[in-house]
Amino acid sequence: MSNSIFRTKGLTKVYRSGAQEVHALRGVDFRAARGEFIVILGPSGSGKSTFLNIVGGLDTATAGEAWFGDHQLTALDERGLTQYRRDHVGFVFQFYNLVPSLTARENVALVTEIARHPMSPDDALALVGLTDRRDHFPAQLSGGEQQRVAIARAIAKNPEVLLCDEPTGALDSATGIKVLEALAEVNRSVGATTLVITHNAAIREIADRVLRFADGRIVEETTNATKKSPAEVSW
Amino acid sequence: MVISPLRRKVLRDLRRLWAQVLAIALVLAAGVATLILGNGAYSSLHETRARYYDDYRFADVFADVTRAPRALLGDIREIDNVLAAEARIAKLALLDLPTMAEPGTLFMVSLPENADRGLNLLHLRLGRLPDPQSAHEMVVSEGFAAAHRLHLGARLAVLMNGQRRELVVTGIALSPEFIYALGPGEMMPDPRRFGIAWLPRPALEAAFDLEGAFSNVVLKLAPGASVDRAIEALDRLTAPYGGSGAVAREDQISHAFLDAELKQLRAMVKVLPPIFLMVAAMLVNITLSRLITLEREQIGLLKAIGYSSRAIAQHYVEFVLAIAMLGIVIGVAAGSWLGAGLAQLYVRFFSFPFLIFTRDPQIYGLAAGFTVAAAVAGALFAVRVAVALPPAAAMSPPAPADYRARMAGLRRLFALRQTGVMVARHLFRWPLRTASGMFGVAMAVAILVASLWSFGSINHMIDVTFTRAERHDALVAFGAAEPARALFAARQMPGVLAAEPFRAVAARISHRALSRKLSIMGKPEAPVLSRVLAPDLRPMAMPEAGLILSEALAEALAVRPGDRVTVEFLEGARNTVTLPVSGLSLGYVGLGAAMEIAALNRAAGEGAVISGVALQIDETQQKAFYAAAKATPKTGFVAVTALTVARFKETLAENITVMITVYVGLAAIIAVGVVYNFSRIALSEQGRELASLRVLGFTRGEVSGILFGELATIVLLAQPFGWLFGYVIAFGMVQAFSSDLYRVPFVIGPEVYVTASLVVCAAALASAWAIRGRINSLDMVEVLKTRE
Ligand SMILES: Nc1ncnc2c1ncn2[C@@H]1O[C@H](COP(=O)(O)OP(=O)(O)OP(=O)(O)O)[C@@H](O)[C@H]1O
Ligand SMILES: [Mg+2]
Repeated sequence: MSNSIFRTKGLTKVYRSGAQEVHALRGVDFRAARGEFIVILGPSGSGKSTFLNIVGGLDTATAGEAWFGDHQLTALDERGLTQYRRDHVGFVFQFYNLVPSLTARENVALVTEIARHPMSPDDALALVGLTDRRDHFPAQLSGGEQQRVAIARAIAKNPEVLLCDEPTGALDSATGIKVLEALAEVNRSVGATTLVITHNAAIREIADRVLRFADGRIVEETTNATKKSPAEVSW
Repeated sequence: MVISPLRRKVLRDLRRLWAQVLAIALVLAAGVATLILGNGAYSSLHETRARYYDDYRFADVFADVTRAPRALLGDIREIDNVLAAEARIAKLALLDLPTMAEPGTLFMVSLPENADRGLNLLHLRLGRLPDPQSAHEMVVSEGFAAAHRLHLGARLAVLMNGQRRELVVTGIALSPEFIYALGPGEMMPDPRRFGIAWLPRPALEAAFDLEGAFSNVVLKLAPGASVDRAIEALDRLTAPYGGSGAVAREDQISHAFLDAELKQLRAMVKVLPPIFLMVAAMLVNITLSRLITLEREQIGLLKAIGYSSRAIAQHYVEFVLAIAMLGIVIGVAAGSWLGAGLAQLYVRFFSFPFLIFTRDPQIYGLAAGFTVAAAVAGALFAVRVAVALPPAAAMSPPAPADYRARMAGLRRLFALRQTGVMVARHLFRWPLRTASGMFGVAMAVAILVASLWSFGSINHMIDVTFTRAERHDALVAFGAAEPARALFAARQMPGVLAAEPFRAVAARISHRALSRKLSIMGKPEAPVLSRVLAPDLRPMAMPEAGLILSEALAEALAVRPGDRVTVEFLEGARNTVTLPVSGLSLGYVGLGAAMEIAALNRAAGEGAVISGVALQIDETQQKAFYAAAKATPKTGFVAVTALTVARFKETLAENITVMITVYVGLAAIIAVGVVYNFSRIALSEQGRELASLRVLGFTRGEVSGILFGELATIVLLAQPFGWLFGYVIAFGMVQAFSSDLYRVPFVIGPEVYVTASLVVCAAALASAWAIRGRINSLDMVEVLKTRE
């Protein structure tokens, strides 16, 4: 299927610490189409982050394969993975991970400077509605604003995929909605395939597809025929 | 034994931060080591000399005469406060060895009359003293014996007063008078070409036609007696017999050179240890501050569960004391080891029968005390913050760093990328810390500049002295003044291409209350082979009537060109005249005064006489020249420029490697200590940011570049300050070192700055390299899971 951007087959991750083995992923088979908005749910410790980190090129698998288009991620070395992240992936994390010594605009510019086809940092900030706060340092912004800067930073390179690990985890629900709206808006306008991990089941209604992880496997998959906009969701 | 939890934490912190702890401890250790080394060497040398002088009855006053009757000794002993006086014969003899073509000199000294109550007693190393009746037995100085592999019973031919005599070595000895045995016309001791031989008085009386007379007298004064008054009285008595003026112990050559060495050690102790201790205090401060910031919440928790502020402060002070202890242990070990090495150098350079390497507990106590004080001072500033925090405030995360600086200008100026802006903001955010880092690096550079410059300056001194001023190949000094025609005889010697006469007359030059005793040199009006240079290095013509004084002498007498000085000649007719100062000359070694030769003779009330000749020699006929010079009875001694310079450079080369190694090592310790600690702290502060950048797709190289960029900025900005500090320290040292013996030209070539910077940058690079592994293994996944 030429339309699929991600493919994993039997993706397995085992953490070994001494004699103990933790099976974080036990053979995950997964496909994502270009432009899809996918929400990942599941109990704590079910392997969601591990999965996202491997398809994001931050971690390596113990067994199985992960493909990004024609690139086999599981075959790339450290240098190749760095290049993959740099060229194709935008990340958003629970704790924003902004650089405190750079302003909002500079945090975005940090990425556009090394990207191949970036949008301008100002456009990226406009997309998340932060034009007037662009000269503020992270410490001068609220949590939600920081997270929106992080989203702007993630999308400013025009990534093919946007990976978000609990982007609303540290926010109150009203702010969380704003962040999700921003994500949905970006998904629509940039067309980036978006994977969002969350504990908030209500989010599922804004997704094209919902995956449920449990014990290192995908145990449930639902496709939404009609997705709601974030504002319609009751949290 | 139960170890309290906090104490266990100290041990765990020490183990966890071992590399930083070691880096700081090494800087402290360098301070301790230099303190122990300097103070230890100083007191060792000082005490050894004092004991040696005491045990071997080193004289207080020394005087040469041409020929005085032994009866005069009775009068000399009558001088107030003279405890003992010894009339001696002390004359130069030429070596006549088949194994040595080049000229060599033996200083022939009559043995102390009484081996117990005499003065300048010998320390016999081997063999026995000569039979008092024997005319051909002698004791030789240890250095000379070693250089020529002389054993007891060895035979040696010398030319005394032109007479060849074969002498037998019956003993090998040392004397407090020749701890530093500098030959005539030499710049460095060379035991091969200059030695001392002690013979019974009658043997020397006969050899030098001094029966019933003496040529040298030494006095021992009552403790606390006025040396000046004794010298005055002695000069009055010896004047009729060609007394050229007595000198006090402080002007005796061997003693004065030892003094210069002691002065240098003193200066080293004043400069080096404080630098290390200051840098160490700074490192303790920044490292501990970071530790406390990281442990802020733990501190809050500890306080909340009832630990007192005092207990917490004590915890951190204990951590720092442990570092100080480590520094002291390493420093004491290194200081003692280096001290033993320095003692070896002294033994090679100075001839002592024994060396008291003082293990004065006071020195060690002082070193330890200073070190602990420096470390604790550094710690207190950091700990104060921890102690002041109320528990609740401590447990909440610290207020985020406040970055305000816009830096639009900087950014445009350097076309900075965002990563560059990160570096700049970070440096500006903690200006004090950035400044202390620069200070530390600058000090490493300064230590090198302040030590390396001297080698270049010594080379400059040699270059100026021997290629511009003293351009002769050899210098023959006559035993006594000769008629001017001796010049023509000299020109006839084999290999002589050109000859230029010189005259040397002992005189006391005074101006108001200041006076100095020295030899005034008479030279042709426009000398070619032995020139006098103006401060701008241009050769000076000898004035018709006036004197040219070296800058050092002019300073000592507080005179300027145009002033008149009183010259009291201490030879011949012993005239006293006043002469104008016509100009000032450059002079690095000793005090100098020069005149036109005929004018000098006129002023001294003498005819056309010369004291010796400066010669240009045909290299291919060197050996023939040496043989002829030796064979001429007039010859007092021969100095060969090439040998003097070679010996000087050789001695310098022997020490230069050791010295450079030590100073480079010391500077590297500072540079590594500062850069390593700074990089660890920067990594600890920015690790999270850097890992986040890696997530965003920045390569390992780019991420390392941010951290290294910060370090490089500190290191590079520190360089000019290092040069400046180094310059100032070196300038201070020049002032401290310059004496009547020598004044070091203050020239610092660009190569000194370049070398210093290269060494420090290399050390910085090496220590930055050491944390590369830590940057490469930054855990990206981990940083995403946790809040800062
Ligand atoms: N570095 C590690 N070493 C050992 N085990 C690990 C490591 N990282 C994750 N694990 C384990 O792997 C399993 C999956 O972890 P993962 O972080 O993927 O869970 P998650 O679904 O994201 O959970 P949460 O919703 O709490 O974030 C867990 O049991 C976790 O304990
Ligand atoms: Mg997770």
